[in-house]
Amino acid sequence: MEIVVCVKPVPEAETRLRASGDGTAFDTEGVKFVLAGYDESAVEQALLLKEAVPGSKVHVVALGPAPRTEEVLRASIALGCDLATWVDTGSAALTDPIAVARALGKAVATLPHDLVLCGKQAGDDESGLVGPALGELLAVPDFGYVVDLRWDAARSCLTFRRATEAGLEAWESPLPCVVALQQAWNDPRTAKLPSILKSRKAPIAKAVLDPAAAGSVNRSEKFELPPPRTGAKIIEFKTPQEAAEKLVRILREEAKVFP
Amino acid sequence: MTARILVVGEVHGSRLSGPTLEALGKAREVSPGAGNVIGFLAGSSARSAAADFGRYGVPEVWCANDARLDTAPVGAIARSVASAAEAAGASIVLVGGSTFGRDLTGRLAVRWNAAAATGVTEVNLADGVVRVRRPVFGGRATETRRLEGMRFVLALRPHAFPLPADAPTNPTIREVAPGELPPNLLAPKRTGVEPVATGAGPSLTDAAIVVSGGRGVRSPENFPLVEALATSLGAAIGASRAVTDAGWRPTSFQVGQTGKTVSPQLYIAVGISGAIQHIVGMVSSHVIVAINSDASAPIFKVADYGLVGDLFQLVPALTAEVRRVRGL
Repeated sequence: MEIVVCVKPVPEAETRLRASGDGTAFDTEGVKFVLAGYDESAVEQALLLKEAVPGSKVHVVALGPAPRTEEVLRASIALGCDLATWVDTGSAALTDPIAVARALGKAVATLPHDLVLCGKQAGDDESGLVGPALGELLAVPDFGYVVDLRWDAARSCLTFRRATEAGLEAWESPLPCVVALQQAWNDPRTAKLPSILKSRKAPIAKAVLDPAAAGSVNRSEKFELPPPRTGAKIIEFKTPQEAAEKLVRILREEAKVFP
Repeated sequence: MTARILVVGEVHGSRLSGPTLEALGKAREVSPGAGNVIGFLAGSSARSAAADFGRYGVPEVWCANDARLDTAPVGAIARSVASAAEAAGASIVLVGGSTFGRDLTGRLAVRWNAAAATGVTEVNLADGVVRVRRPVFGGRATETRRLEGMRFVLALRPHAFPLPADAPTNPTIREVAPGELPPNLLAPKRTGVEPVATGAGPSLTDAAIVVSGGRGVRSPENFPLVEALATSLGAAIGASRAVTDAGWRPTSFQVGQTGKTVSPQLYIAVGISGAIQHIVGMVSSHVIVAINSDASAPIFKVADYGLVGDLFQLVPALTAEVRRVRGL
């Protein structure tokens, strides 16, 4: 099975968020980037399938500026991905999710791809558009919010479950298709030191993309942080009953969120 | 600037879903005026649900009345939505913030050559430009994005909007043909649905109210305290990682960075100290209440209202008061 995984570098969870000097976007200066959480699930799922289906290959693809994009590609190789392609956007980031999907789709279309995996969304912009957009671009079905995935060799189809409002939907689909992972219900593996060292010298195929010429129609104009929370209004009470009555009254009359 | 907005309906039972109604209310606010908001429905139940659009003042509903779309993956439906939007002269397609709505947004943006955004909390139209506000980084920041072009697909953030007022009308039904559907888009099969493991309550990410328990609950035997409060409020039940790691509740209950991100109207944290791991998953809730015996717990820094005291006394009292007020 030829598996392609699309991944994205995102700021690590502990990052202190700041707006850029002109206030239009997130300031990436000095920020440490890591593989996006759901993308990590996608890589893990790709590697599990590769182990389960003899002769499989995993090709990891990422779009973005240096050095963070190259770093997440090398991290994915260290985890066990076989090949890597980097759509290099120079020093600028491309943040229109559909333009990103178009550029990724162009790269993926040139690779053998039975199955295309990605995270259901990235932890920074939380758009969740790349998976479904890739499905349309590659003219194959796409499935979002997938929590587990198996290859049924006897019947030549993928079986998987999706977490939706209705519950866990069970599906089966022939290949090729796109699957956006919500969360691996297995713990993503960590890379071992020899693999990390080896990944530093691994070849990465590179395509160059000028973000200004990528057809972007969706740009960040303002990036705002909420006013610091001033802390909870502590409700004074003498008895638990009084506490309950006061809280219910506040939720009804002041906060207006009582059902 | 007025725009014709097509609201894509999602049907639960034979009624429009909550996220669809939120989208409908927002569409009416963004583009007031008779006939500016039109509906779309797909599948064999399309015509019966069209009456529900009429209840909220939508004069025209486009139906892709084709049973193949009942269980088809979203890619098959996107084609009919694009055809309907073109035929109806809509420049904006607005959908609710469900899993379906977000998936549709990505497919449709490519198919219909539109600018797209999800998780939207505000929409502004001016001079041919659509500006949207949307929370990012798990609600820790908000961005304003400028969308350009002739066509726009927007998915709202769920639970961020009130439901629209009734304005009954008798909608005109228009048929849209789903056209040639490529066999590969119809080949996948949904083979079953396991209902969410929270019992009768709403699912965690879908609920308007979430009550979560943490380490302060002390043991799995005490968790029914949290469940009783949730039931009285019609809320979903969540848990901190301490609780799911200890196996008191399955991982699917976990709210936080490595679990689910929730943004309900009301979030009640019971016996949760407020590790950053947990905060990231619930900080964008509209109103946060914390109940904890430790007045210095970090949860009180992000909460709107706090009760400092013994949760084993406070939670049952609160459940009783909620039940009394709600007449349960």
